[in-house]
Amino acid sequence: MKGSTPMSPSRPLRTVVTLTLVGLLGACGGAGGAAGPAPGGDGTPVQGGTLTYLEHQPPTCLYLPAAGFYPNGGILNQITDKLTWQNPETLEIEPWIATKWEINEDATEYTFHLRDGVTFSDGTKLDADAVAANFDVYGLGDDKLKLPVAEFVNNYERSEVLDPLTLRFHFDKPSPGFLQGTSVIGAGLVSKKTISLPYEQQCQLKNIVGSGPFTLKNQIVDKEVDLVARKDYNWAPPSSKHQGRAYLDEIKIIVTPEDNVRVGALTSGQADMVRYVQAYDEQTVKDAGFTIYAEPTRGVNNGLYLRPGNSLIKDVNVRTALRLGTNAKEIVDTLFTASYPVATSVLSHLAQGYVDLSKELVYDPAKANALLDQAGWVNGADGVRVKDGKRLQLGVFVSGPQPLSKQTLELVAQQWTKLGVKLEIRPADAGTQAVDIKDAEKTAIQHGMVGRADQDVIKSHFHSKNRDVILSDDKKLDRLLEEESAEPDVSRRNAKVAEIQRYVIEQGYAIPLFEEPQVYGAAPYVRGVAFEAVARPWFYSVWKARQ
Amino acid sequence: MTRYLLSRAGQAALVLWAAFTASYVLLQLLPGDSILIKFQNPELGLSPQQIAEIRAYYAGASPLADYAHTLLGFLTGSFGYSIDTGTPVVERLAEALPETARLASAAFLLAVVIAVVIAFAASYSSASWLRGALLSVPSLFISVPAFWLGILLIQIFSFRLRLVPVIGGSEVQQLVLPVLTLAVPISAPIAQVLARAIDQVYAQPFVPVIAAKGASRWWILWRHVARNAVLPTLTVAGLTLGELIAGSVVTETVFGRAGIGRLTEQAVNAQDTPVMLAVVVLAAAVFVLVNLLVDVLFPILDPRLKGAAA
Repeated sequence: MKGSTPMSPSRPLRTVVTLTLVGLLGACGGAGGAAGPAPGGDGTPVQGGTLTYLEHQPPTCLYLPAAGFYPNGGILNQITDKLTWQNPETLEIEPWIATKWEINEDATEYTFHLRDGVTFSDGTKLDADAVAANFDVYGLGDDKLKLPVAEFVNNYERSEVLDPLTLRFHFDKPSPGFLQGTSVIGAGLVSKKTISLPYEQQCQLKNIVGSGPFTLKNQIVDKEVDLVARKDYNWAPPSSKHQGRAYLDEIKIIVTPEDNVRVGALTSGQADMVRYVQAYDEQTVKDAGFTIYAEPTRGVNNGLYLRPGNSLIKDVNVRTALRLGTNAKEIVDTLFTASYPVATSVLSHLAQGYVDLSKELVYDPAKANALLDQAGWVNGADGVRVKDGKRLQLGVFVSGPQPLSKQTLELVAQQWTKLGVKLEIRPADAGTQAVDIKDAEKTAIQHGMVGRADQDVIKSHFHSKNRDVILSDDKKLDRLLEEESAEPDVSRRNAKVAEIQRYVIEQGYAIPLFEEPQVYGAAPYVRGVAFEAVARPWFYSVWKARQ
Repeated sequence: MTRYLLSRAGQAALVLWAAFTASYVLLQLLPGDSILIKFQNPELGLSPQQIAEIRAYYAGASPLADYAHTLLGFLTGSFGYSIDTGTPVVERLAEALPETARLASAAFLLAVVIAVVIAFAASYSSASWLRGALLSVPSLFISVPAFWLGILLIQIFSFRLRLVPVIGGSEVQQLVLPVLTLAVPISAPIAQVLARAIDQVYAQPFVPVIAAKGASRWWILWRHVARNAVLPTLTVAGLTLGELIAGSVVTETVFGRAGIGRLTEQAVNAQDTPVMLAVVVLAAAVFVLVNLLVDVLFPILDPRLKGAAA
């Protein structure tokens, strides 16, 4: 069996492993470059080798704007580059394919200057024409090709190619989020040929031609994706310490749906790195001398989102009572680990524009019960409160992508029985969910989160024209979100985001639970592990130390 | 015989059509549809109106025309396109079918071997405790969930003993554990029926007669008893096909194999109607074919049935 490591490391080896672990933790989330030399090991990156990476789910449609789904992003992040690079540590936007840019006063015109000599893997040039073709689709969609618009571009009007390496984007309203938008996973640049294909074809990996450090070698649908390094790659973000081609020769991405098969394969040396280590498996991975990477997603926290359109919770006091009666700390302590920090606001503490609301987010079941009494809900015969003959029973769907969603909801349901509220948990059957999730009467509560390292993430989550998780009819909330989204000044924009977080809590729209990470496990000899700002792996600087 | 075959083939076609129609209707009745599931993805920022337009683009003139169109497609071997991935359904089946065929056929053969060994050993052994123990093995096998067995086998043989890798490895290495996982529950009903049939044949008067003529125990079992006991076993073996298909869904998920089982699971999750319809019809077709085969084999194995068939 290749790449096997001994089951129980000898004492000196264990010391080395522990030291390496400490070294890696220190360098974790490093600024897009290789992690620093690990103590006790050879710090010089090794060229070559194959990384076996186990994914939880097969990729779905790989049309770039839909790349947010982690199995998609894990592939697309290796085969495409973006105009700009968001430094995952500072969240600053840095040059990548664009060497520099100018933005006008009210953020309605963006001019980008492109790096010379960048090519797509089919040999065509990555020039202003190609970039314009990409963003025209991401900003406006294409009805004929059935290409939907992308969530990360707002108020897009048109592109203008000034010369082969310079182009300008025009917006009909200020679009301050656009610069960050050019760095997100969905803004990966693809060849002009790829972007002019119909939607169904852009869904298929074999048609995606990017300029990234890896290209597709082989795909077995639903089972395996093999990527191979591009020998002539020479346009990594300038802030990366590592330049030139990727260290690895190949990456084998293998779909392994079973949680304990992924973890067992990692610790028994059959795989080098895995995505989605469950909270209860973290200790197993650490005990075996392996590294856990719990990467923050820097967006709207994992939480319960309450819909004012539901007749039972249209009263803000009832919604507030539900929040006061939810013990987020108990949820984290019971089900999760230190990788999942208890929420202190609607947004993650690493999100842009975060404000600490931990004083508001206290657990106070006595006050919760008092509020429900005042609102006229009286205890019923079976322990569930009633008012006007209706029971206080609220529906929620188990959220497939969220870790231990069912267990989380079950614990909340248990906490709410103390309030006399029944939480009705429904399994996530795709068809029923797609229909009922948009019906506030049937689905009073949404369980979810969204990650993106920009102030606009809060708008994506709450605005009635975006994800609209609370099925909002709140004009004030929409107005606040639009103001945030169109505010070119960063400090004023952050102040607006803070105001929105307070407003969402005051109105009882959100019960933040915890800051959801993406948890990866890797073998100690896997070095240079890095992630983009929203925790998708970037294998460009990864190398395997000699064992 | 020809008339018999023709009438059986006609019945088979009727069964296939009924399976197609029933699943077509049921899939239409499900809440939501694959277009809604796929395009509701908030990253794509589509309004409900736009989703309705996409649906209109995919839909036919009327439900009946849709049905006729799909049925015609199936008759001509075109199963349409997967809504989830946009690839032709035929292509997806062609990718997944060989994986499952290898797994299922190997598992079936192994199951037959296990079943024959258990049944023969039980009837051959003279110690009643051993016989009892052997006969209770099928009940144990059938109560073991395939999911749990698969994980247990991986833990022991791959992660602890490191005999076979689950990630990478040759095609044979990749088959060993899934085949074992699938074979164990399949072997149980075959072993049970075979053992019981052997007992029944032993109770018949011709057995003591042969014994009195001086035949050895093994000769009686092999030449006379087993041959007569094979008929009911064959019927049950044909019926285990359903178990094979259901078991492959679980086994393929645990072992990360991209076969029909995984395809089915994903199609159900995404409510990918064309794929589900094709899988149902395919499963029905295999079922019909295997049962047809069993019926044709009967008169060959038992000359007494020849008259009945003709």
